[in-house]
Amino acid sequence: MTLQTEQEYIRVLKNRLEGVLPQEELDDLLSDYSEHFRIGKANGRTEEDLCSSLGSPEDVAREVRATHLVRKAEHTCSCRNIFHAVIATLGLGLFNLVFVLVPFIILVALLAVIFLLGVVFAVFGSAAFVFSILQILGIASFAIWQSPAAGVFFSIGITSFGLLLIVAGFYLARFFYRLGIRYLKWNIGVIRGTEDIG
Amino acid sequence: MNIQFKKGVLEICVLAVLAHKDCYGYELVGEISKRIDISEGTIYPLLRRLKDEGYVTTYLQESVEGPPRKYYRLTENGRNEEHEQKDEWMRFATSVNALLDGKDDTAN
Repeated sequence: MTLQTEQEYIRVLKNRLEGVLPQEELDDLLSDYSEHFRIGKANGRTEEDLCSSLGSPEDVAREVRATHLVRKAEHTCSCRNIFHAVIATLGLGLFNLVFVLVPFIILVALLAVIFLLGVVFAVFGSAAFVFSILQILGIASFAIWQSPAAGVFFSIGITSFGLLLIVAGFYLARFFYRLGIRYLKWNIGVIRGTEDIG
Repeated sequence: MNIQFKKGVLEICVLAVLAHKDCYGYELVGEISKRIDISEGTIYPLLRRLKDEGYVTTYLQESVEGPPRKYYRLTENGRNEEHEQKDEWMRFATSVNALLDGKDDTAN
């Protein structure tokens, strides 16, 4: 669909970005486009001509939205924010299914496995530790360790390993988060809009 | 020219134009679309990103006809970035051109 008038162009931008951008930023953005139309018309161009040169306002809105959400995720680190930023960037082009979605899923899966393993080791290690103590005290109803003293050390080792994995997973997540933000920023500057043909 | 990287070079084009003189949006868009066929609307989001990154600042200036216009000016940071990106591009373009010309001259 090609737009014919300034009013339509501005309306599409406004509809798509209202509630996403803070009002002040949205007004500022819209005023940039109003100025563009104003000067263009003063130079004798028609609104239709200006609209067709500007291209799709949906593309502009998608790009502004992605930029805003990535910046938000950068300032306030949270799973929710990075998720929104990734989804918004996905909308910029088919390319990003491969170049954003796939690496994102792989990283999330990797981190999930690390955390899960960490939790499993920590829980089983602690349980084994408690059991070893019970066995040493002679309260345990059956023995799992031939040497309960060795069991104490072994279970402490397992627990520590689990905790270490959790801590490592945390640092790794933080590292990938920062790297991911930089990548998304670069990506937005390079990936061309979906409706821009030519 | 219908290639993916066209948008990627837009940033250096904007920086290069602003390195010559401060521009208002419409003027800047005109300078660029005179030479490169792009969706002009995408220049404004790019300008906002450059402003966020501290490469450009804006100021309002009265115009002879009509209300004041928003001008964009490179900051010191922006100037450095422009130099860096320009050097990088020049080296890249020289290599690609040499390859396309089929020259055997790799000495540099």
